[in-house]
Amino acid sequence: MPFLQVIDLVKDFGGVVANNQVSFSIDQGEIIGLIGPNGAGKTTLFNCIVGYHRPDSGKVIFKGKEITRLKPFMTNREGIGRTFQLTKVTTGMTVLENVMVGAFCRTDGRNLAKVEASAILGFLGIDGIKNYRLNEIPIASQKKVGLARALATQPELLMLDEVASGLNPKETEEMVNIIKRIHQEKKITLFLIEHVMEVVMPISQRVIVLDSGEKIAEGLPKEIVKNERVIKAYLGEKYAKGL
Amino acid sequence: MEALKDAFDFSDFSKIERIILVLFTLFLLIFPWLGSGSFVKAVMIYFLLFSLFGMGWNTIGGYGGQVELGKAQYVGIGAYTVALTMVWWKIPFWVSMPIGVLIAIGYSFIIGYPLFRLKGHYFAIATICTSLVLQDIFINWKLVGAAKGIELPIREHPDFLYMQFKSDTYYFYFILALFYVALFYMNWFRKSRLGYQLRMIKDDEEAAESLGIDARWCKIKAYSIASAFVAVGGGFMAVYNLYIDPYSVMDLDLSIKIALMAMLGGAASMWGPIIGAAFLIPLDRFLGSWLGAQKGLIGVDFMIYSALIMLVSAYQPRGIWGIIEQFRKRGA
Repeated sequence: MPFLQVIDLVKDFGGVVANNQVSFSIDQGEIIGLIGPNGAGKTTLFNCIVGYHRPDSGKVIFKGKEITRLKPFMTNREGIGRTFQLTKVTTGMTVLENVMVGAFCRTDGRNLAKVEASAILGFLGIDGIKNYRLNEIPIASQKKVGLARALATQPELLMLDEVASGLNPKETEEMVNIIKRIHQEKKITLFLIEHVMEVVMPISQRVIVLDSGEKIAEGLPKEIVKNERVIKAYLGEKYAKGL
Repeated sequence: MEALKDAFDFSDFSKIERIILVLFTLFLLIFPWLGSGSFVKAVMIYFLLFSLFGMGWNTIGGYGGQVELGKAQYVGIGAYTVALTMVWWKIPFWVSMPIGVLIAIGYSFIIGYPLFRLKGHYFAIATICTSLVLQDIFINWKLVGAAKGIELPIREHPDFLYMQFKSDTYYFYFILALFYVALFYMNWFRKSRLGYQLRMIKDDEEAAESLGIDARWCKIKAYSIASAFVAVGGGFMAVYNLYIDPYSVMDLDLSIKIALMAMLGGAASMWGPIIGAAFLIPLDRFLGSWLGAQKGLIGVDFMIYSALIMLVSAYQPRGIWGIIEQFRKRGA
């Protein structure tokens, strides 16, 4: 039984078909990359799976249970965590408090939530900034807070939306290491949207390619980079030759 | 147990804040013996009452960040329950006040469920409307006294059961006790799971939903907590004034005052609503009685009142408490 299964998912924004008959499945313990040009419908696909959008047709099945049209907080309670492309820069809460809110998903006690949140901040190596607010820290740290928040809800499947965008090469490398460690040490299945090929190609076990709302390819990274349609739609000749 | 400990634990406040809190408490305890006149005593009672209102509003309006402008309907529910049950069935205050709170909570769930489908300005407008509708019903409803209101039957002797006393001192201590219950409750609330979740909803509702928070349900819960607070104050208003009508306990003016005081003092902070009430209630009362009484100066109190509000909100949207924190940060 697949861990996450998406069957013939359609999302039509009145004229623009953002997802058209998309089907794929993910097994437990995998790292799956989702790539495609801007406007291909990657984030829409994420939003349909976790419930921010209601798909027009199709099914999403998670651990054998249909979760299509469940609300975001319900899919989170089923065990799906997600991060956002942009972490909203807010001033109301400190980093620690942000992560504690995630931990409150599974516990009632404030002290317990604090301990768990601190552990996760330690795991990501950002416990030094725990008393700052999101508007006081650099973008790489903001991304990690978004990640920490989602991790604190103890997801079994974590969906990362462009977690490496806007980072410099050194920060990107650090992020790749963190993603690997989340996968290995926390045993969380990962599904990531990524534009930075240096992130997605080395760590993904399989890659799914979307273009204009349709799935145009799926396979091992080394197959994907040689796929004619993918090169034409997204990667460009240069990248294919360089590899 | 942890909840009780949290309620009485002020250790995360700075030393100055704790000292001021203790001094302030001592001052309030001996206040009736300082020989102030009945006018000043009444101002003090209203200050405590509006602090109570403001703290209640702060749950949904401050921590939850929802612009809620319909609290007067719950003042009305609390006040009318106490007044009507006493007139009709002679039910003592100590029974009717909790009943009023329960009715307010029940009503807040019924109203809150559809209300929180709305967001932002639409939500604010809808809260005003629900409150006005209820006021209109009471203005036209003969059974509950319609626009004339109801007078509570006066007991021959001071009566603790019905909360009727000759001296304001008793009322003062009673509202003081309620004030401290509210204060300790809020001290627990801001550290509770719901408190954290509301702050997250205020910051970023989309992210909050992705963290397993049912935003709408959280808002409804906070809304009914706020309503319960306000209904307690409403019950007190009924026995304190011995007369209520839809204009005194359900007016839009009252709703706005409750929200404004908390915002002016500093929404989403522990001391904000208290500071706001300490600032505006005396201003409101003194300006009203000094300036408003003089010929040709009617309305000047409102002008000064609104000018102050504009000044503070232009300078620091987080209110007076925001200004204090700004100075503290600069000093540190």
